[in-house]
Amino acid sequence: MIRPALIGLALLLAQPALAQERVLSIGGAVSETVAALGQEARLVARDTTTTYPPALTALPDVGYMRQLSPEGVLSVGPDLILMAEGAGPPETLATLRAAGIAMVEVPEGHTPGAVQEKIRVIAAALGVDEAGAALADQLGAEIAAATAQATAEPGPKPRVLFILGNSGGRLTGAGTGTSAEAMIALAGGVNALEGFAGYKALSDEAIAAAAPDVLLVMDRGAGDTSEGVSDDRDYLTHPAIAATPAGREARVVRMEGMFLLGFGPRTAEAITALHAALYPKAP
Amino acid sequence: MLQATGLWAHLGGRAVLNGVDFHARPGQITAIVGPNGSGKTTLMRRLTGDLTGPGEVTLGGDPLARLSPRALALRRAVLPQAGTLGFPFTLREVVRMGHQAGAAAPEPGIVEAALDEVGLGAKIDGLFQDMSGGEQARGHLARVRAQVWHPVQEGRPAWLFVDEPVAALDIGHQLQVMAVLRRFADAGGGVIAVMHDLNLTAMHAERIVLMEAGRIAAAGPPAEVMTGPLLSRAYRCQLCLNTAPEQGIWLLPHAASLG
Amino acid sequence: MTAVPLRAAAAPPHRLPVAVVAIGLALLLAVAALASLSLGASGLLPWEVILRDTTPAERAILFDIRLPRLILGVLVGAALAVSGALMQGLFRNPLADPGLVGVGAGAGLGAVIAIVLGGLLPVTNRAMLGAYLVPVFAFAGGWAAVLILYRVASLRGQTSIATMLLAGIVLGALAGAVTGILIFVADDNQLRDLTFWGLGSLAGANWTKLAAAAPILIAGLAAAPFLARGLDAMALGEGVAQHMGVPVETVKRGAILSVAAMTGAAVAVSGGIGFLGIVVPHILRLAVGPGHRLLLPLAALFGAALLVAADTVARLAVAPAELPIGIIMALIGAPVFLWILLARRAVLEV
Repeated sequence: MIRPALIGLALLLAQPALAQERVLSIGGAVSETVAALGQEARLVARDTTTTYPPALTALPDVGYMRQLSPEGVLSVGPDLILMAEGAGPPETLATLRAAGIAMVEVPEGHTPGAVQEKIRVIAAALGVDEAGAALADQLGAEIAAATAQATAEPGPKPRVLFILGNSGGRLTGAGTGTSAEAMIALAGGVNALEGFAGYKALSDEAIAAAAPDVLLVMDRGAGDTSEGVSDDRDYLTHPAIAATPAGREARVVRMEGMFLLGFGPRTAEAITALHAALYPKAP
Repeated sequence: MLQATGLWAHLGGRAVLNGVDFHARPGQITAIVGPNGSGKTTLMRRLTGDLTGPGEVTLGGDPLARLSPRALALRRAVLPQAGTLGFPFTLREVVRMGHQAGAAAPEPGIVEAALDEVGLGAKIDGLFQDMSGGEQARGHLARVRAQVWHPVQEGRPAWLFVDEPVAALDIGHQLQVMAVLRRFADAGGGVIAVMHDLNLTAMHAERIVLMEAGRIAAAGPPAEVMTGPLLSRAYRCQLCLNTAPEQGIWLLPHAASLG
Repeated sequence: MTAVPLRAAAAPPHRLPVAVVAIGLALLLAVAALASLSLGASGLLPWEVILRDTTPAERAILFDIRLPRLILGVLVGAALAVSGALMQGLFRNPLADPGLVGVGAGAGLGAVIAIVLGGLLPVTNRAMLGAYLVPVFAFAGGWAAVLILYRVASLRGQTSIATMLLAGIVLGALAGAVTGILIFVADDNQLRDLTFWGLGSLAGANWTKLAAAAPILIAGLAAAPFLARGLDAMALGEGVAQHMGVPVETVKRGAILSVAAMTGAAVAVSGGIGFLGIVVPHILRLAVGPGHRLLLPLAALFGAALLVAADTVARLAVAPAELPIGIIMALIGAPVFLWILLARRAVLEV
């Protein structure tokens, strides 16, 4: 049963390659962009971080983007690999390059300009430069509008504490230079954590000193009980959080990770959503 | 001929051998006796080369220090006091290790013969670890016998060093072990034995070396060394010595004294 | 005298005939190797390369992906199992493993340093070392640990195994602490890399890696048989072994150095793969006895077969993605080991 299918795959491999008609997309934002360009029919496989649009999850999954296996990738028969910066490991990439597969690395970045650049790079690789330019221009305008609206809010900007994970009461927060910080700023907030770079475990004192007005937490979808995902109550009853303004007023904002931090074609939408959550209209 | 001159040894800053001269002849059982702490085992370790220090030991004229472990193993075997075995080897495997250590080319049948000699032929495929203390002691004797199976090899005598070979054994097996050593010596090999049992020593040794406080107090045939004054002084007790027509000297403990 | 006791039996009743075990393991390795060459996400069969016109990508799957991976699996599996057997012989303890001489801790620290601090290197150096940064650091770390331990445990030409054991524990704690610091400063991506490295994988196999690791692994494997007689004798104790003509210091040095070389190289190219070093020698001791002359070559066969089989499972289980091999090893190895312990207990208690 499996054997004929596998042999079928092998035969597919044997067919002469048409110019980049079999695309493997590595990285959630890269896949979203391919779909936004209307090219999802050319995708033959995806990585684990590709979850949007939901239809793409039906494609074969070649694994976590930093742990790709050479045969796994070759087995889906790609003639073009679009991969987010950081995909690997390097040995696998070297083997794939040696096998003669075209590879394009899509640069990562947390600015509106970087989002547009991603789109242009992907569009150029797929040979749809014009559609790419149109999408990049449109998204650039949308992001500019969303950001302008968000940063025009009167009064003090809310201090936002982004929490990546919670393991047994130890919270991991986003410091400077993170994608979360960039997103918070675009949506009219201020990162409550400063003084360290990247994602770090937070001490109770650091949380108290951050004095956030809002907690921003990852929501990986309903029913997700994996490690690091907690109920609002877990955060609000955390002794250090409870003493902060956010804890007292029970302000917890949940957003889906890939949507919020992907810096893909949904960036403008995400800025607007986060902005709305940070500045709730008085009832 | 085994010859040692001017052996010194120190343990924890204390001299445990004070310039000992020692010799032993092939064809004889040479027993080293003396009270606890008199330096018997230290002397033995100097003679086997386990311990180095001032003084020289020669085996058949060759200084011990110049013989490689392998060359030494071909000429002498050492039976230590109790030891443990790390893995579940069978008795056959343990004795075979001994034979391979002492033979340039292993000969068939020697492992079996060595085990028969100590009365363990029937247990050859049993696990060494599962055997009683007495069986393990005899198994080790079979191992060292298999290492120097021929008492005279290429015209050279082989040597057996045994440290308290009868310590874990009942009286029947004590006599059996002494008989093994006896036959080895009678066939031309040399035996050097550290002994606690003075009666067995008197019965089997041609030459007795009595140690006292790191020195040799007396050395010679049993009739010269096994005397009331010498033994009583060395062991700090009173002993009642007798002679029997067949057995030679035998003794009975009498009373503690000289405390 | 009664009849001569039965002694004609070739093997003691609780052991298996050596020839049967050897042939069985060789067959197991052959089957595993064939499976490893034939099975994979792409479904390519090795003989297709001969029977029909294949594309360069297909030939790459067979010759540049599966073949180096199979050879690396054979060598790493053999090296890990033989290293375990050597360590157990040296420490006279069936639970000893190469971790006791600090190779694991040192190699792990090296890998963590490469993963976390590699990003800080000037770009030119990074480009030069590229994919080999982690393996090179892991190997160097493993060797550094062994040399330190050896230095600490050696006094006037004598190596104390007990001191080495204690120093190994201390060094392991130190390496763990430094690793902890580095984990603290690591970013999210580096943490994921660390986790995957710790679980072990042969996915990175290629001819370059194989060319670097194979000479070291083969040298270690080739040295092992020369230690067999000495390790047998050392089961009776170091003193007894010396009396039996074994150059004990040389055997100890040889065992430690070959284990350090093999484990260092194996860990460097495949990350943390556990269980082989303990389970393989243990099972073989039950099957053919503890004599190292048989144990070492059979352990090489068995270790190679198991690792190649586990690697094949690892890349088929969730194809086209791949599981870390350490997970497969532990998932299969742990229950089997528990079962052996239970079965043995039942025998002992009857």
